[in-house]
Amino acid sequence: MLSLRKYDGKLRRRLGKIFCVFTVILVMALLNNHRHHVYAEEFIVQEGDSIQAVINQAAHGDVITILEGIYHENLFITKKLTVIGKDGATVDGNGKGNVITIRNVDNLSLTGLTIRNSGKRQNESGIYIEKGMNNRIENNTLVNNHFGMYIDKGINHHVENNQIYGSDAHYSSRGNGVHLFKGGDHLIESNTIEYVQDGVYFDFTKNVHVAENQISNSRYALHYMFSEQMVAEKNDISKNITGLMVMDSEHLQFFNNTIADHFHFRGFGMLIYHANNIYIEGNEIIRNSTGMSFDKAISTESVKNIIAANQVGLEFIGENEQNIFTENNFIANIVQTKISNEKMRLDNGIIGNYWDDYGKFDVTGDSIGEERYKAGSLYDQLLRSQPAWQFFFESPAVIMWSKAESMFPSIGRSDVYDELPAVEPFPLGKDMNEKKQPNKLIVVIGVFFIMIATITLVKGRKYT
Amino acid sequence: MKTKGFAFIVVILLFISACGKDQAYEPEKINPEVDVCEVCNMSVAAELFATQMIMKDGDVYKFDDLGCMIEMIETNGTIQTADIVKKYVRDVETGEWVELEKAYYVYHADIWTPMAYGVVSFATLEKAEAYISEQGIGELLNYEQLKEHQWGWE
Repeated sequence: MLSLRKYDGKLRRRLGKIFCVFTVILVMALLNNHRHHVYAEEFIVQEGDSIQAVINQAAHGDVITILEGIYHENLFITKKLTVIGKDGATVDGNGKGNVITIRNVDNLSLTGLTIRNSGKRQNESGIYIEKGMNNRIENNTLVNNHFGMYIDKGINHHVENNQIYGSDAHYSSRGNGVHLFKGGDHLIESNTIEYVQDGVYFDFTKNVHVAENQISNSRYALHYMFSEQMVAEKNDISKNITGLMVMDSEHLQFFNNTIADHFHFRGFGMLIYHANNIYIEGNEIIRNSTGMSFDKAISTESVKNIIAANQVGLEFIGENEQNIFTENNFIANIVQTKISNEKMRLDNGIIGNYWDDYGKFDVTGDSIGEERYKAGSLYDQLLRSQPAWQFFFESPAVIMWSKAESMFPSIGRSDVYDELPAVEPFPLGKDMNEKKQPNKLIVVIGVFFIMIATITLVKGRKYT
Repeated sequence: MKTKGFAFIVVILLFISACGKDQAYEPEKINPEVDVCEVCNMSVAAELFATQMIMKDGDVYKFDDLGCMIEMIETNGTIQTADIVKKYVRDVETGEWVELEKAYYVYHADIWTPMAYGVVSFATLEKAEAYISEQGIGELLNYEQLKEHQWGWE
């Protein structure tokens, strides 16, 4: 009995194995059957043809090449295709709906097209991608669409080398350059985005890498809402209302971006609002009405940034906690800091920042000033309640007052300080690569003068 | 001469007093170029979602999302609730300004609003109901129910 039962078990196991293999073969056969042919077919579309007709005809995996011409169509793609636009291939949406809708497709590639004139209502866009994964949108030009691209959910899409231009309308009636709604793991790289509402809008999105894009003349360049785990690096962000708008988000990292020329009177280089765990390193934040502004920001770290030539360099509004600044250069900001916080230490206890209005000395020779740098002034706090007093900015009375206040630091000012202020700026940005070599010309001239002096001395002596 | 001077002063006084008479507390137009939400700092670009409140002294606070206005009323210490004279929301379809207390609201987490609070306002009950049946989502709220609503910032 015992051996029989054993045998029975073996048989059952073997039968199970056979069944498994059979199922796999069956599934593969079915899949293969679904794909009508093994090799990708190529289609060529000419002006006068309908691209959509070819799309309908094409099978999964086919290649469609679109020749030069203007195609007045709204395209709808629901299968994996490789769509290649030749120079001058333009799809025109005639001002209604999405120009190209891609729904539930994986591994699609769309390159080289000019896509223009989507509808202007709600989320209508040049390219609307719904769900799917691993789609590549490269080298396209998107003009005069409401949204350039709207990526609705979906995973791991690549948006690279596209040119996105909105319209001349006021930014409040434009759509965003690239709008990401939920989903994540996307790569947005080397795009040029101009004249849209927000360059890239992250709406409940996770883990998106944004690199080397140029975003200008829009409302916000990068707008983070309820998003997390993002990296933005080497982007060139200029002439928007605000460069980085970070709201209700967490775990974001910003490396080596240039954020410049945001001079709108309500604009910021970057505004961190109600966000936490933000890491900001190596950015150049120059010529903005407010360089960096923190409002309800918790646990941020700013390292090796250049904050220069802004009207206000660093601003704290509301309640902020644990914002650490190290090795930053604060240079030539008209108002260096504007603070409303109660108490906060800015340096990390090991290294501080360079503040060009520090004006105290380093006695011990460790290039760290002996007295702490105090951010903000009583005048800032007055401005908060009496904005019109800005009129007295740099007036003799205010200067005298601020001076007196810095000597007698007890008058109810906010206490935000850098305990370890550097007396020399840190070598950052372009300076970092330039090694300080003694100027050769000076050496040559010096040697020349010494020679003349020696000769005169020697010769002069002879004659006397 | 004297009467002329007197008349002149009276006219001037009339002009000056006219300045202070503007106490209607009418909603102000939104200018997306300059108007910024008092709470979240975002520019009021999506104008149909804008709200505003007018204070006793004529100050106007504008918001990009209803949730921000309620946040300011309920958590901000810098204003006195008693000083708020009017609170306006907009009909999200027409842009018509309606007083907070008289509007009807639809809430659903998936309704897009600038700060993702998901509450949109309507001038009439019918319009709110029509919106719900059209969108297939949403919970209808009147002002009393809105007071009980659990906001994202809470």
